[in-house]
Formats: sequence, C-alpha cells, structure tokens
Amino acid sequence: MKKIIALLLTIVMVFSLAACGKPTPNTKTPSPSPGDATQGAIPTEPVTLKFANYAILETGYEDFWNGVKEDFEKKYENITIEWVTAPYGEIVNQVINMAGGGDKVDILFGEIGWTPVFEDAGLSVPVDTILSEEFLDDFYPAMLEACSINGRPYALPMYVSPFVLYYNKDLFTKAGLDPEKPPKTYDEMLDMAEKLSKLKTADGNKVYAFGQTTASVPISGAALTAMVYNFGGRVLTDDGELDADSKAFKQTFEMIKLLDEKGYNPQNAKLKDLRNLFALGQLAMYYDQSWGYNGASTINPDIKNFTASAPPLAGGDGSGESILQAATLVLMDNGTAQKQALRLLVEYLVSAEVLNDFLAITPAYPARQSMKDLEVITKSEILKGAKDSLDKTMPSAFVPTLNDINLELCTLAQSVTVGGKSVEQGIADFKTAAQALLE
Amino acid sequence: MVNKSMGRPLRKKLIPVKRSTGDIIFSSLLLLPALIMTITFIIVPIVDSVIKSFQDFRIKNIISGQPGEWNNFANYIKLFQSQKLIGAIIATFSFVLFVVILQFIFGMILALILNSKVLFARFIRSIMMTPWVVPTIISALIWMWMFQPQYGLVKYFVGVFSGGAITDFAMLNNTKTALLGIGIAALWKQIPLTTLLLLAGLQNVPDDMLEAATIDGAGRTRKFFSIVLPYLKSVIKIVISMAIIANFKQFPLIWTMTGGGPDNSTTTLAVLSYREAFISNNLGSGAAVTTIWMLLMVVVIVIYNKLLGTTDID
Repeated sequence: MKKIIALLLTIVMVFSLAACGKPTPNTKTPSPSPGDATQGAIPTEPVTLKFANYAILETGYEDFWNGVKEDFEKKYENITIEWVTAPYGEIVNQVINMAGGGDKVDILFGEIGWTPVFEDAGLSVPVDTILSEEFLDDFYPAMLEACSINGRPYALPMYVSPFVLYYNKDLFTKAGLDPEKPPKTYDEMLDMAEKLSKLKTADGNKVYAFGQTTASVPISGAALTAMVYNFGGRVLTDDGELDADSKAFKQTFEMIKLLDEKGYNPQNAKLKDLRNLFALGQLAMYYDQSWGYNGASTINPDIKNFTASAPPLAGGDGSGESILQAATLVLMDNGTAQKQALRLLVEYLVSAEVLNDFLAITPAYPARQSMKDLEVITKSEILKGAKDSLDKTMPSAFVPTLNDINLELCTLAQSVTVGGKSVEQGIADFKTAAQALLE
Repeated sequence: MVNKSMGRPLRKKLIPVKRSTGDIIFSSLLLLPALIMTITFIIVPIVDSVIKSFQDFRIKNIISGQPGEWNNFANYIKLFQSQKLIGAIIATFSFVLFVVILQFIFGMILALILNSKVLFARFIRSIMMTPWVVPTIISALIWMWMFQPQYGLVKYFVGVFSGGAITDFAMLNNTKTALLGIGIAALWKQIPLTTLLLLAGLQNVPDDMLEAATIDGAGRTRKFFSIVLPYLKSVIKIVISMAIIANFKQFPLIWTMTGGGPDNSTTTLAVLSYREAFISNNLGSGAAVTTIWMLLMVVVIVIYNKLLGTTDID
C-alpha cells in the first residue's frame, strides 16, 4: 500500500510540472501599414489595454497616473487600462520577457533612448500605423524625427526637454555672482566655478561648482552625448557610424577631465546623486532633463526658492546644441480592437487637458505645437531661463546598441577622470569598444 | 487462496518480476520527478545556452520565434578581441579569492569565539545572522550610502582618523579600490552563514578527543591543527565550495553598487554577461560569456576538490 501511495504521489508531481507550461501565445497578426481600421473608430466590445508604466511606482506620479486611468475609463466605458509595472531599471526587460512568453503589452511609457531596443526587437510599430495623420501633424516635426528610425516614428514624444542647466541662485549671490546671469559658455562657467568652489555649506561641507553625470548608467551616456553636442560634435553620424575623431569630441572629454582635476564635478555621480547634492545646496550648477527638478524637489521642497534654469553651454566651436530627451509612448500591435482603443488612449494622454495637470507637477515642454502657449509652461519660473533651449536640440542617430554605446561613453568619462588615463588613450579605447558594438 | 505457512491470503502480483528488479523499478519511479526537474530546469537550459553561444541570437528571435543564426565562434572571438572578457575574468578571480579567503578566516575566528562559552553567545549568534537575512539589494544600498563620497559614514571616519588629511575618500569611485569596497560588502553579508556552519561543525568535535589530547600535553594550537581542523574538514570543504560558487556568481551587489564601473574595474563575468545579454540585447554573446563563466567555475571547483581531497577522518 505504501508503495502505491508513493507511486501515486510521484505521478501527481510529474503531471503537476505540466502546469508550469507557458500560456498560449498571442497569435494576433500585426499589421504595420498606415491608415487602417483604427482611424476614427471606437471599439464596440470591451477591450483591456496593458499599459507598461514604471512611473506609477515613483513618488509624486502615482496620483496623476491613477487619475488618468480613472478619467479615461469613465470617458470610454468599454476600455479598461491594466497597469504592468516594474521599477525604472527593469521595465524594458519586463516588457520583453512578457512578449517572449506570448503576453505583449499594448503601450509602454518610456524614454526616447529605449526606442531602438523595441524597434530592433520587432515589438513596437510605427505610431503612424495607429494614430491619425491629423493628430500627428500637430507634433513638432523635429520631435517626431528624433523618435524616428528609417524615417518612421517608432515612439511618440509625450513631453520633451534638452539637458538644461539648473543653477542655485543663492550660491551665485554668495559667490558674488549675478544670479540673473548664468554662464553661456564653458569658459564663463569655469570662471564662475572658481568662485563657487570656494564656498562651503552652513555645516561646512564642500560645494561642487558644476555637475555632469558620468556614472555607469545609459542616461549618463545620453547626458555626455548632449555635452558633445554642446561643443558642436557628434557621437554617431546620421548613418549610425562612429564619429569620435572630431576636435569637438576631444574637447568635451578634456573639459570632463579638467572639471575633475579642479574638483568641480562630483566624481562618478548618477543624475540622482547630482539632484541630491543640488537639493542640499552642495552643487551650484548641473545638467539634467527638465523633469529631473522633480527628483530634487522631493528631497528639498524649498529648492523652488533658489532654482533657476539656463540653456546648455556652448563650448569650443559649438553653439550649445543639445540632444532631445523625451518621455515617449511606445505602441505595440495586438489587433484591430486593441489599436482602436490605443488610439483613443494616446490622444487622451497627449491632450492639453491631461498634460496641463502633468506639467504642473513636472517641468517639461509639450511636443505638440498647439500646446506651446499652455499657461503652465509660459508661466513656469523654473523653465523660464531655458525656454529657448529647445530651438537648439538636434536628433541623434538610433542604433540598436545605443544603450551600450552610452555606457561606453560613461566608461570613457570615468577613464579620463577616476581612471587617470589621458584623453587620447581614453578615446582610443572608447573607439575600439564602440566600434565592436556597431559591427 | 490461503498461504498455509503464513496463514494469510496471497495477493497476485500484477507483473511477475523478481523482488530486486521490482525495487529498482520502484526506486527509479520515485527518482523520476527529481530527474525530470533536473533535466527540464538545469540540463536543458545549460545545453540551450551553450548552443545559443554559437549563434547570433537577439531579442527579435525570441519575439518572432525565429531560430538564431549559427555564427560558429564569432561571439567568443569578439569577446576576446574586445579585451573585456580578460578584464572580467581577472576581476572575477580577484573578487572570489579576496572574499573567500577572508570569509573563511573571519568566519573561523568568530566561530571559535562563539564556541568558547563566551558571555551572551546565544544572543550574539542570533543578531550575527542579521546581515545574511537582509536582501542583497538592500545590503548593496546600505553600503553605497556608507561609501557615499560626499556624506558617507566611511568618508567621515577616514577624515576623522586621518586628522583631516584625507577629505575626499571615495572607495567606489576609485578604479583601484572599487572592487575592494564591494568585497567588504560581500564579506559583511556572507561571514554570518560561514560562522554558523563552522560553529555547527565545531560543536561536533568530540570532547573526549580534546580531553585526551590535553592529558597528553597538547597545547591549544596543536589541538586546533591536529584535532579540530581534521574533524572540520568536511564542513570546511562545503563552506568554501559554497563561498566560491556564491561569489563567482555574485551579481546584484556589484550591479547595484557600481554597475561594473568605474572604468570597468568591477566588471566581473556576471556583470559582463548581463551587459551583453540585456543592455546590448545580444543574447548570443551573453550566452558565450555565461558558457566561459560556467566552465571556469567547474574547473575551479574540480581543482579545489582535488586539492582538499575526499578522505574524511575516521
């Protein structure tokens, strides 16, 4: 009898393994051609949209996104939004892993730098296959171009910003500088930095004059790319080839090295470290996406009293160009009904009605021309100084290994600072590593 | 039918087999779940990973269901040419050696102290396990804050003990000290378990042997090396094997604390594998790193087992 029971248990265990099998894959066929059945139609049957969104887990944004869900579902009663959440650093892998298991989300709230990953994976579809021409015509062409691969927009910018210069007006005053006259060039910045770096905080801590992120995360690489643009250089050509032999590219990393040697730039810092130091009054100036202000203000709400913004600095022969940073919506094709619902959701999300609320809590610029005069933008004290910076943003080429190229840029910055290498050696090593990624 | 000798009914066997053969079949059937689990979740993924390491296999292959394109040794050649692999192997071995040696030494010292009827031994044993219980990510965050270059506790103490001579101590920002910083965090987390296992081994060393040695005039050192250590041999072997494997595959601590930087100084094989597979989205190349990593780990464990031998004390 014992043997029979043992055998039965064994059989149960073996068969229970079958329960671990993956769910039936989504077999709906994608249809990536523009102008199909989604235009103008409203789904007649109940539809659930899977919305991958890391921001809902972040302090300060939960109420906004839950409000969006509630209001949208009220407006379109047969459409339900189902959140798919993961922290910022994990959401891309989460969406890819789900898709690999046959469970593809419909929409992802992400960053412009993620666009080539989803395009290369064959997950995202050009947004013009889902959204109407009339709706897309309202977007600044340069902003749609910045999200395009082979001439097709594979992500929709929801709101945008270049890397702007945030500075502490109180520290400027303390250093005997005019708080209404931020630097316009790197040379001016270095002159001011000399005075600012002599300051101490009330509790005797060092004040860093200038912050440029160089830590090993892709967004730091994007910030370094923007700095190369400030000097008039490029990291990649429009064709996605490496462009690291220019004088501007070298000047950028000479500046990074100089800032480190003078002790102006906190070493190997992430953007969140810089936001922290800025909020605590230990950093006089730093580059950040405009919405990075939110991260600093959650640490110290009083920063609104001393923060001002300015356009990116001009260096070398450059004129202070920068790259566009954007919070984007990546769309995926799960069949006609889903696409119809998706069109309604995107049009709702990127509307003045919704973005007005969002931009009230997050300083950023709208990507739609009809929203340029939104009061929340025109009257923003934080964005006032950097308002012309969008005119100097340039699209940067997308390659599938963009994130890795960005990490190699961080390695280059680290090698010439904490690594003690010469700029020439650092660039040579970068070229070897980056070239291998592009092959 | 009644068995006269036993006085109870005889049951007919369904399939007439010898008792020994029946036992073999029965035990094989009982082993089946473990066998299926091992093949499904260990052998198949390993073989699959090795196959993919010879392919150009990317995320689009997973999404579209298309098989990867066979590219012979291209992934391996590219890795060796980029010099990242050699750097990662050196970083991995440096990290494993540093942590495993110190983990064993400190673990043994603590175990001996706790075994010597020290006051509050039971209480110390309880709180000692706290770092081991803390999730690795949290440990990494705690140590990042400790090493924080502007307001970290370590920077503060270095400033105080150097009399203000060192004001910019930033362990994780220096290419020469970053791996050491992660090693310290790993030691903090892993020493408690080592201590506990060694302590369990120490408590099994027979008292009569120690008493006999004392009567024969053996000192503490002689007793430790001639009686305690040989008795602990099997425990030590397991403890060090576990430490080698745990540190060879250490990923969350390194990724959270430095992301492989600065200047790739903390890019171990685990970090390189993740970067290739999930940052570059080149799963074939990630699998190539993993295959090399697995082979190295197997070689290390085999050498280690050879060195320590298999004989136990009688």
